[in-house]
Amino acid sequence: MSITSKTATYKLRYEPDDDGLRFQRLTYEGNFVGLEPVPDGILGDKMMRRRAKSGVLDSVSKDEVLRRQFTLDELNDLNNYLAWNIWDVLVMRATEGASGMIPRQEYEILAFMHEFYRWPEILRMTTDEVGAQGVMDLGATARREIGTKVNCVHDWCIGAVGFGMGRCGLLALEAIQPDDYVEESNEILKFMQRVLWGKRQDGYILNSQDRYRCRSLEPEILDQLVGELEDFERDEPKHDAFTRFNAAATLLAFLDHFDCRLGLGDTGPYPLPDGRVLIVRDLFTNEEQFHWSDVCDHEGVPHCYTATLAIDADAMGLAEIRVNDISTTFTRPKNYVPYITGGAVFVREKWNTPMGEVRRVALDDLGPELEKLQQATLKLYGKLARMPRRELITNGHWVYFVDMILPHLRLAGTYEKACTDYDLWEIDQRVSNYYYEITKRKFAHEVVPTRIFSGKGYLPFSEKADLRSSKYRWL
Amino acid sequence: MSSIVAEGYNAFETEQAPTGVVKYLRTPNDVLALIQSGRLKDYIILVRGGTTTFLAPVLSMGATGILTMSGAPESHLGILSREFQTPCVMTIGLTDSDSRYRPASTDDAHFEAIAQRLEGKRVRLDCGDDHVGRIYLEEIGA
Repeated sequence: MSITSKTATYKLRYEPDDDGLRFQRLTYEGNFVGLEPVPDGILGDKMMRRRAKSGVLDSVSKDEVLRRQFTLDELNDLNNYLAWNIWDVLVMRATEGASGMIPRQEYEILAFMHEFYRWPEILRMTTDEVGAQGVMDLGATARREIGTKVNCVHDWCIGAVGFGMGRCGLLALEAIQPDDYVEESNEILKFMQRVLWGKRQDGYILNSQDRYRCRSLEPEILDQLVGELEDFERDEPKHDAFTRFNAAATLLAFLDHFDCRLGLGDTGPYPLPDGRVLIVRDLFTNEEQFHWSDVCDHEGVPHCYTATLAIDADAMGLAEIRVNDISTTFTRPKNYVPYITGGAVFVREKWNTPMGEVRRVALDDLGPELEKLQQATLKLYGKLARMPRRELITNGHWVYFVDMILPHLRLAGTYEKACTDYDLWEIDQRVSNYYYEITKRKFAHEVVPTRIFSGKGYLPFSEKADLRSSKYRWL
Repeated sequence: MSSIVAEGYNAFETEQAPTGVVKYLRTPNDVLALIQSGRLKDYIILVRGGTTTFLAPVLSMGATGILTMSGAPESHLGILSREFQTPCVMTIGLTDSDSRYRPASTDDAHFEAIAQRLEGKRVRLDCGDDHVGRIYLEEIGA
């Protein structure tokens, strides 16, 4: 690709009247049958928010977030918006089919349903321990740290996956009815709202509400990161060393998390004074709670590498950049890698290593780090290749079920209690039994891509639903 | 002389136009055997899924080019191929066939037809377009 000078137009996307670009040709319908189909991106966000009955999708106040529960209208607005948001970020990813390695659709659907059943009491216990303000404070920690899993994708997963996909899967399995588990739904969504609001502190909870921006880092942290950038040209060895390292760390982060997005956490785009844009990327290459991460320990791979990427927006002709709600950056044009003209790499050895002990690795010294990543990747691959199917599904399910709320429980100091008093590392008998149901009639392979990731099947709570309701009848 | 034999979603725009013999990898053991053979660079890799884990060693050791029979640039393999700058065309379909991949409703015959048509053939990837990646069949002597 030739590097010629162009003009970046991405800032136009932040004009109030701008509807953004379309990244895909598909459209969303959801519960709005007969209405105008909704596209992806900024225009989709506008349309979905216009259809809301309550103000929950507008910029909301701290007092509203601290309120004990949502109204039925607010629950339905969140349900509809999350269904569109899930479609927006996952409908194309969901075309990827069978892995050939990890039965991901099987572990995903089991984890979704398990989360909806089990998370509410664990999140309620955590809220009881630290208070509603304390939950918001958990989110706020992400403003001052790099290498933290309290990030877009984990925070989003609490509501979008634990509530949205879990409820959708159980409805599809006909294990629950639309008006069951209203109180539990409220518990999950309130926890998500508080964490996300605390992180963003602009009144919104999702990046899609803010034209796909997540500029959550405090200015003093950002200034430190920018001050550590090493600049380079495309044809310099440093460019190659940095981008190869970034790719290898991203790969291991995906693999350690069983081919899911929990290993990756982008924030940004942060505009730099020289016109470039900065993405701050956490790559979680060694999660100590996963027993298969022993190969990462053996190679000396840290909990997280943070890569900062400075992208020359003008040279690229950047027309739109999205940091979506699963912490992933997509651009138009798609290929931003040749236009990375500055970078830095930081190491956070453990999840709770103090920020003052996070160390930078000079780009000239990335060679040994790359070697560690490659060796750990090969060893982990060999380990996974020997795992029986049942074990792969169980382990993948643990990645979702535990890791999506692990960072919040760790910080709240309730992880141990969740393990000992709430059997976090046990599988509920209902979900154990579903293992045998999900392969019948291609349930996992059809429901996950065609209903859950397509945004269909997110049935609303009816007008008769009671905010106090749990599951009272098995008929 | 060459002709378009298949096309699909282009994972990212690149002027790279890799050529190689198509090798279809069916199992993790196929992946490990290829890595151990030391001949990874000779091949354009063909796989069924658009996920990253199956191809992790191939990506890590530096593949020449990748073809998938499902998935999109937003899939994990699409993201990783961009980060590795490995040209990748996803959800390919044969140009002389109407059979196209549909999630959850595509039978094995679709995948086998593509594999049978391409495996062992020398191809060139054209990944310069925003959306469409094209696979050219390289004729012997070309």
